[in-house]
Amino acid sequence: MIGRSGNLRMAVESIRLAKWRSLLTMLGIIIGVVSVVTTVSLGEGAKRGILAETNQAGADLITVRPGAIGRSRDEAASLFGASYTGTLSEKDYEAVSQVPGTEQTVPFSYVTNSISKDDHKFEGGMVIGTTEGLPAALGQKLTYGAFFEDDEPQRNAAVIGQRVAEQLFGENVPIGKYFTVRGKQFIIRGIFEEFDTSPLASGSDYNSAVFIQYDVGKELTGGSDIYQLLVRPADPAQTSQVAAGITETLRTVHAGQDDFAVLEQKDKLASANDMLTLMTGFVAGIAAISLIVGGIGILNIMLVAVTERTHEIGIRKAVGATNRQILSQFLTEAVILSAAGGVLGILFSLLTNYLFRIFTTLTPVLTWPIMIAAFGVAVLVGIIFGVTPALTAARKHPIDALRHE
Amino acid sequence: MPIIELQEVSKLYGFGDATTVALDEVSLAIDAGEFVAVMGPSGSGKSTLMNVIGLLDRPTHGNYKLNGRQVERLRPTRQAKARRDTIGFVFQSFNLLPKLSVLDNVALPLAYKGMSQARRQKRAAEILDRVGLADREYFMPRQLSGGQAQRAAIARALINNPNIIIADEPTGNLDSASSRLVMELLSDVHKAGNTILMVTHNPELTRYASRVVFMHDGGVIADEKSTIGEVHETLRRSMYFMPKTTEEDDLAGVSALMLAIPDKLIGQKKTAKSKKRPKTSKAKYKAVSQTRPKTKKRGKK
Repeated sequence: MIGRSGNLRMAVESIRLAKWRSLLTMLGIIIGVVSVVTTVSLGEGAKRGILAETNQAGADLITVRPGAIGRSRDEAASLFGASYTGTLSEKDYEAVSQVPGTEQTVPFSYVTNSISKDDHKFEGGMVIGTTEGLPAALGQKLTYGAFFEDDEPQRNAAVIGQRVAEQLFGENVPIGKYFTVRGKQFIIRGIFEEFDTSPLASGSDYNSAVFIQYDVGKELTGGSDIYQLLVRPADPAQTSQVAAGITETLRTVHAGQDDFAVLEQKDKLASANDMLTLMTGFVAGIAAISLIVGGIGILNIMLVAVTERTHEIGIRKAVGATNRQILSQFLTEAVILSAAGGVLGILFSLLTNYLFRIFTTLTPVLTWPIMIAAFGVAVLVGIIFGVTPALTAARKHPIDALRHE
Repeated sequence: MPIIELQEVSKLYGFGDATTVALDEVSLAIDAGEFVAVMGPSGSGKSTLMNVIGLLDRPTHGNYKLNGRQVERLRPTRQAKARRDTIGFVFQSFNLLPKLSVLDNVALPLAYKGMSQARRQKRAAEILDRVGLADREYFMPRQLSGGQAQRAAIARALINNPNIIIADEPTGNLDSASSRLVMELLSDVHKAGNTILMVTHNPELTRYASRVVFMHDGGVIADEKSTIGEVHETLRRSMYFMPKTTEEDDLAGVSALMLAIPDKLIGQKKTAKSKKRPKTSKAKYKAVSQTRPKTKKRGKK
């Protein structure tokens, strides 16, 4: 278009001449961009966290849980543990471990949540009965000591999470110390490395868990209360087939009822992603409202500018500017305002991102597509809200504009 | 063929009882190469006529042919292009854009023509040199004196080589020295073959004109050839700008406006007092014209 470069220069010039006013106008766009970009990057960070956790545990792991999985929404809910109803039985455990292709089946049975040491009680944790395959299945190392083995002499051995060590014993390495669960004394044999926890990832926080032998737990509770089975297939490539085999076996055991769920890691991941995408989208949508408010700010300031510069428009028309050229001048100015707001918004998002990483445990992840999209939306807002003032300017009658002082 | 041809052009403002007739069926033909001075009291429609001719305003009735083409109903874009390419405006209040340098101001019409920045600045620099402002290229308009600003405005009007220059009281805000410079410049432009239409209140300036048009109440009341280099004859005789009424006139209820119109135009015999008027000297014209109240002050924006 004619005179483009001139328009650009003039737009930058008039923004420069009214620095404060332009900056305040951009503020709406800046806030909008920062909130949208930050929300989405937090969501992205959470997704990456889940992915990392899943990969750490092993991508070939199969999880068996009680309670049916229904449609994807219910899957999402199951992440919060909301749909855990009922338990799996001892019989299920045995049946699953006999499914062809399974190499190792690790049960998680709930024993109690009350742990005590002398007169001291630790609440908020839980005692889990399990087998020696657990560290391998979770992909978790021990900081100190070793995990117990499934044999007789180690019946009173226990491995604890870091928070239990800190809160119950008040030290980092309480190896060899005793504590009591349901009247039975246990000795600490090992301490886990800190588990990566993401608030959305899985139902429990293993940092405040105590692990004891599965059989011991069964004795203490007088029955078994398995809430989860982790199954590792012999051949990772056969994961899906093994999962299908487990489903079939369990269905037979449960007399045809589908009151259990067999999840491969990719299912868990997919459902977590679905839910995060949904939530992120929802919050980002709310944040995007501020972009619209920013757009209205631009609309407002451009209408003021057009009124203020009516005489200028008259002069320009007198020397031969066409309506279209006037339109493009004011539209360019609006778009420059919003684009500058977009760029500043992205810079502030980077800063916010950095602050989040320093001061919180959240790890937002900024990606190029979201930054480009935010910038694009900012420019689009400038165009949409800049058109009306620009049209007003373009349609001014030359002599009326020229007489306007 | 006349370059500008108006046929019974009228311009009305307002509606019903409040209607104002700014132009009242004006017919005027101007040939290429003329230097037309348009004179008349305030509110006589001079500026409206200039705006209509310059395509800044649309006539309510009548035909207007510019270069033989009917233009008053052209689309806005075509009118804008005509303003850009065939007409140059010079205003009383200069109308330079305060935020642009002198060079950019002068180059503005070329920007709207789509010329590259380097080329248009080169061209603007040449024109500025021609009007004697080569050393003021990078000044801002507020840093110029009135005469310099008006010369910059003339440079802007000339940059597209327009056929027609429309100057609405170009010296209205200038002192006499600056006025002379500006008028000499317009005169040069005229000698180069351009058509010039100039509104003025100063009879002195009819020296530069080849034709003088008198307006009154929206109509053309006189249209006479004039000799370049001399103050127009009718004005020299001047019933126009001298103290007009005597005590007897006042007693008789004769208004200055009635006396302002030359006898031969209204075909009436003037009152006897006109004979008694003293022979007027040039100095006196000047003195009178300078006492005319100036409504617009320079720099007031």
